[in-house]
Amino acid sequence: MNEVKRRQPWLVHGLLVLGAVVMVFPFVWQLLTAFKTFTGSVQVPPQLLPSPWEFGNFAKVFDSMPFVLMFVNSVVLTLGRTLGQVVLCTMAGYGFARIPFRGRNALFVLFLSVLMVPSQLYLLPQYEIIQSLGWLNSLQGLILPGLFSAFGTFLMRQFFLSMPAELEEAARIDGANVWQIFWRIMLPLAKPGIIALTVFTVLWSWNDLLWPLVVTTDPSKMPLSVGLSQLVGLHGTDYPVLMAGALLAALPMLLTFLFLQKQFIQGIAFSGSKG
Amino acid sequence: MPRHHNRSRLAALVAAAALAVTGLAACSSDGGGGGDVTLQYGIWDQVQKPAMQKIADAFEKENPGISVKIQVTPFSQYWTKLQTAVTGGSAPDVFWMNGPNSKLYASNGVLAPLDGVDTAKYSEGLTDIYTYEGKLYGAPKDFDTIGVWYDKTLFDAAGVAYPQPGWTWDDYLATAKALTNPTAGVWGSAAALNDQQNYYNTIPQAGGYVIDDDGTKTGYGEPEALEGIRFWVDQITAGVSPTQQQMTDTPPEDAFLSGKVAMYWSGSWSANKFGQDATIKDHVGVAALPTGPKGNQSVVHGLANVANAKSPHLDAAKKFAVFASGKQAAEIQATSGAVIPAYEGTQQAWIDSYPSFDLSVFTDALDTAVPYPASTNTAAWVTIQDQTLSQVWALSITPEEGLATLAEKMQASLDKEKK
Amino acid sequence: MTATTALRRRRGPFASPWWALLFIGPTALGLLVFYLWPTVRTFILSFTQSGPFGGSAFAGLENYARLAEDPALGRALINTAIYMLIALVGIPLAVAIAALLNTTGLKGRSVYRMLYFLPVVTMPAAIALVWKMLYNGDYGILNQALHVVGIQGGSWLTNPATALYAVALVGIWAGLGTNIVIFLAGLQGIPDTLMEAASLDGAGPIRTFFSITVPLLSPSIFFVSVINVIGSLQVFDLVYLMIGRTNPALPDTRTIVYLFYQAGFIDNDRGYAAAIAFLLLIIILGLTIVQFRLQKKWVHYE
Repeated sequence: MNEVKRRQPWLVHGLLVLGAVVMVFPFVWQLLTAFKTFTGSVQVPPQLLPSPWEFGNFAKVFDSMPFVLMFVNSVVLTLGRTLGQVVLCTMAGYGFARIPFRGRNALFVLFLSVLMVPSQLYLLPQYEIIQSLGWLNSLQGLILPGLFSAFGTFLMRQFFLSMPAELEEAARIDGANVWQIFWRIMLPLAKPGIIALTVFTVLWSWNDLLWPLVVTTDPSKMPLSVGLSQLVGLHGTDYPVLMAGALLAALPMLLTFLFLQKQFIQGIAFSGSKG
Repeated sequence: MPRHHNRSRLAALVAAAALAVTGLAACSSDGGGGGDVTLQYGIWDQVQKPAMQKIADAFEKENPGISVKIQVTPFSQYWTKLQTAVTGGSAPDVFWMNGPNSKLYASNGVLAPLDGVDTAKYSEGLTDIYTYEGKLYGAPKDFDTIGVWYDKTLFDAAGVAYPQPGWTWDDYLATAKALTNPTAGVWGSAAALNDQQNYYNTIPQAGGYVIDDDGTKTGYGEPEALEGIRFWVDQITAGVSPTQQQMTDTPPEDAFLSGKVAMYWSGSWSANKFGQDATIKDHVGVAALPTGPKGNQSVVHGLANVANAKSPHLDAAKKFAVFASGKQAAEIQATSGAVIPAYEGTQQAWIDSYPSFDLSVFTDALDTAVPYPASTNTAAWVTIQDQTLSQVWALSITPEEGLATLAEKMQASLDKEKK
Repeated sequence: MTATTALRRRRGPFASPWWALLFIGPTALGLLVFYLWPTVRTFILSFTQSGPFGGSAFAGLENYARLAEDPALGRALINTAIYMLIALVGIPLAVAIAALLNTTGLKGRSVYRMLYFLPVVTMPAAIALVWKMLYNGDYGILNQALHVVGIQGGSWLTNPATALYAVALVGIWAGLGTNIVIFLAGLQGIPDTLMEAASLDGAGPIRTFFSITVPLLSPSIFFVSVINVIGSLQVFDLVYLMIGRTNPALPDTRTIVYLFYQAGFIDNDRGYAAAIAFLLLIIILGLTIVQFRLQKKWVHYE
């Protein structure tokens, strides 16, 4: 028995390392390109290591845009959308999972249909709505349409569905109402799902380009994604600077994921109801 | 108990978020004091922003009470954003316009006709691009023409003389052959499938045209257009240029900058990029286009400043559009080196901006230049053009077949515009 | 009242429209205003001939008739279907990787998780560039590796026979990170005691995986497969970035959303674009409903 346990991890490690190399190499290339000169970045055959090394690209990123201001805008946008979606989607997901009502399935399919249409289609109608509210070029205009997510609702529904119904039965017998059951029992259990939802919403909000681009006109209101897109020129792009900018922008994402990973682990410890 | 803690924390967060949102809503309105006018100026080139800012500052000095705010939208999303804003009714007051889109916007009443433009100071090719039904809708801001950029190191290594003024198509092909070195992986020329940089020039040089002056008839059905296209396809079949597959995998400009291609046709805009890079500028030169059966015309294109017909400050907008293309603005642009200004007599500063290149090649080309082909819905037939010609370049169909199909489909698209 | 009582008896204590309104109402309202209403507007638009700046004229079924005759559409449908089928391979792959990452006592688990997550934070432009370099016919690493074993590789992205598959591979690669995150979250919900009981009963890791892990993970697998099908049928960005307008293989890699984008944003034919979008909606809706019906057969909810 012991031998079986000791042998396994090595095979697992081997496979995982192989996979990791495949997953990681574009990021590594992006990192290396951030240190190349422009000429170095367009060489064919492609240069792996920068030669010569160019350390000025990161500074150029700060020169080309009000980086810190845009960073703050991105943070506010992301926080707003994530908070909103976590609240709204967990509630809606629970509703679809555990609250029966007439036409529930049809409504759910209607929700899902939102995902089945190319997102560019929403651009103009949403623009017109936000404009009529007078919220063009404002933070609330940036955040608002992104608060409502069929994807998030679907995700949370699946998580709630996978939980044992006995818990809720027991609580009902104890006299709890729907809200109390949701808040005290189901929500803590759904932590892994909420973390997954948070990860996705954070990623999507942080990198969202088209909507912020169209809705903001003042550079002081633009998030980082828009600032980065301005580095792409008409007749060619300074790739090293663009890669440097993208790396700087990705840093918060990586840190968020690192932080949330710890929550993942804690989640296992708390789900005492298992087994 | 941890849960109570969580609940009140969450509630506080939600309350704070709600407060923040309402607070922001309250102070989002612009300070629009009486008399002060703010113009929004939409552009797409971050590199030119400093020059545009200087122009805006100069305008503000001359026109107290009007301020100009610049918005940069990257080119690939510029038109999407502009269309959305125009449809929604909140487009910038003044913005950049280009050839392919000028007639589309003018014919839909988006642009205001500009009075006060001294048309004598701009080349006719440029003002033609922005004239619709007899009225001028755009004030030409800059222009670009095409030249042959060549790699001096490769020429020296092969012992070939640099291109001389007045060289012909035959000279070009002979030079390309002499420079092609398969063992070293070097090609003499890059027969790129690029309209503005390549075949939009060789078609007029052969005596043909892509679209007629009215913008209603295609010239691809004519034998001259075929000659202009053959100039490139023959290079691929002769092996002096990479294949279309190779040029799709590796952009010709990258190959040129890596010393794999000796001659690369590109516009005056490359001067800025090549000239600022220490490793490039010393071993690269530029020559005028080779002469074909009917001359060495280049295609000319240029941007214009246009005024939004629905702008709440129409007079100020028109004034700024004209100013931003005027003499003072042109001089500011010339010194920045990024583009060649369109206003007559201001180009010398640009020519001098990169002395190691013979940039007069581009300004001289203006005299014989052919306007950029455009119609009311240019984008529709450009798609057909790209896709049909990519099959020709890939050698899957012959140029004759390809152009016959292209002429038919492009004419159909043009006919649809008339309705 | 009898309906509600019957509901309550069958479905439990919460059958009440008021709770449903509280929980689902806000999201439903938001989706209605910002997403569903625009979809309806688009549907209406598909029956018009629309210009780029809003003007439109009623055109009946003209756009749909054109759609039926459009040769590019047929090819695009096939391309999209092939892409979707290949992308499905990413799901079992992600399940396997998530299971490996979840191995008890695995050292460096967080590091691995980080590395598998990196593609998700890598810039799409960088991803496209690097894979294009990999696939490059002359200088690509893939061909260099094949050369070592004596195979002469071609230009993967410009050959009509291989381009779509090459792009689909990148699609799988790019989607792995997010799928793994979902499965990892799902795996947390599987009690360790169950796994221990299985190994005590003498079940090996493979047996445990298929008899316990997969069934218990099935709600997440269902979610991922529905989302994947919806997403891969709408693939656009990846194709747009990796296959240029002048790529000879374009007709063999263009997807439906590519045609939609071209019609709506390049050719300025809004009505036709709306018709394409609507066709796509029907197809995806149909496939999704089928998946939901099938779920009774293989998805285990508690």
